[in-house]
Amino acid sequence: MNKRILLVEDEKNVILGVRTCLDAVGYEVEIVEDGQEALDAVHRQHPDLILLDLLLPKVDGFEVLKVLKSDEATNSIPIIVLSAKAEEEDRQRAADLGADNYMTKPFKPQELWDLLKQYFS
Amino acid sequence: MNRRKIIDQFYNSEGLDRKAGVILNKLPAPVNLDTIADNLADPVFIVDLKKNVVWLNKKAEDFFDAGFKQAGGKPIADLTSIKKIDELINDVFEKKTSLKCSYEEASIKVKRLDERFFFKIAINPVFHQGELWGALVQMTDVTRFHEMEKIKTDFVSIVSHEFRTPLTTIIVGVEMLKEGMLGDLTPRGKEVLEAIGSDCERLNRLIDNLMELSRIESGTIYVEAEPVDVTDLVQEAVRPLKLQAERQGIELITDLPPEVPPVAADFNKSVWVLTNLIGNAMRYTDPGGTITVRVRQRGKKLFFSVEDTGCGIPKEHQEKIFRKYVQVSGPVRKGAGGVGLGLAIAKDIVMAHGGEIWVDSEVGKGTVFTFTFPVYKNKEAVTLPGTDQDEEVDL
Repeated sequence: MNKRILLVEDEKNVILGVRTCLDAVGYEVEIVEDGQEALDAVHRQHPDLILLDLLLPKVDGFEVLKVLKSDEATNSIPIIVLSAKAEEEDRQRAADLGADNYMTKPFKPQELWDLLKQYFS
Repeated sequence: MNRRKIIDQFYNSEGLDRKAGVILNKLPAPVNLDTIADNLADPVFIVDLKKNVVWLNKKAEDFFDAGFKQAGGKPIADLTSIKKIDELINDVFEKKTSLKCSYEEASIKVKRLDERFFFKIAINPVFHQGELWGALVQMTDVTRFHEMEKIKTDFVSIVSHEFRTPLTTIIVGVEMLKEGMLGDLTPRGKEVLEAIGSDCERLNRLIDNLMELSRIESGTIYVEAEPVDVTDLVQEAVRPLKLQAERQGIELITDLPPEVPPVAADFNKSVWVLTNLIGNAMRYTDPGGTITVRVRQRGKKLFFSVEDTGCGIPKEHQEKIFRKYVQVSGPVRKGAGGVGLGLAIAKDIVMAHGGEIWVDSEVGKGTVFTFTFPVYKNKEAVTLPGTDQDEEVDL
């Protein structure tokens, strides 16, 4: 069965880009555009992996990380942060909250595919 | 007539004794030295050899909320809550020369109520009959300057963030189109996409470098020298570029001596320097070429070099390339462009470690960039120029 990825991202163009990139290698992608929707979607359908932006409406990415990683029902789902925030502090804060990986925008499709493979091998 | 003679003549004509400094009597009647001292914009203290306050001006009384009665005889460190000030004064007493802390070297952060202030400090020794007697401590408020620096750093950070998001869409799209994953392209279409792709990378590098530069210049990072394992350092620098080198058809070789002592370096910063040099070499080296990362020890220094078989740098450009915003023209590979920030930053970082960086190159043959790091001795910390050693105190 195809791996199901939840993409949490609020920029329409980035959504198109990332979705195209994931579709191309056969991942099943669900998209939500704010942090609250992300939390609901995770509990509803338990994705195999989450790609998470940090600056999100309603509930921000750090909060989403905190909630999901401190809940036993969801803390085993790998979360990869995809963010334009490139400062070391943000990276560290995400890691402290339990993010499994952190990829700075922009990235190349190959880099995303290589990273995803690590979690699906 | 020289300056001294003019001054002497002035004193004589006024009937004043220059040595006694009677010229002060010439101040207009309502003004005396106290008036001047009390109207200075900066807090000023005079301390004795025990570093106890023997005099302070109005600004100092106001700022540190201490009238002369409370302040007189009190240690200046207690009064100002700046512990570091003792150290600075001791230094002046020992050397008997003035200490003019520039803002960069030591700005002292003082928290009062909800406000934060930054001061630079000047300390001058005071002598009495040829003997060291005390010191004059002057604090200059540089809070505004600090705020401007912060605004600049924040601005670069926001601009960088705003650039990265749209670049994501562009780069992902271009790469997928290039790989033919979204349908066929004409040869010309492919060529145009290649150009867009390499210009995107150029923008991306520029943003990375601008951020790095702004961080270094605003002094929010400092180089903390720790013992760094050289093998780790080289591997960490080479690892992210290995795959890319392979794809470009460039051989990336590391050449380390079997035994090599640790260097005194900041791990992340030194990796950044090496990665940057290798990345540069890759941009200027054709497929089939070789890049060698070499480490050698000579005395108390380790020499790191990155050697490529690329197009080389003409002699007249070799000195300029370490300056900011310089890019060498001439036989440069198509699409290899980039603003010359990387090497300027690399130089800042290497110099902050007490090392040197230089280039040897011959057009058509290749280029070798070499930098040195000191071998780790014992605990030592190196501070980047432009770094604050802030001490924060609450009042």
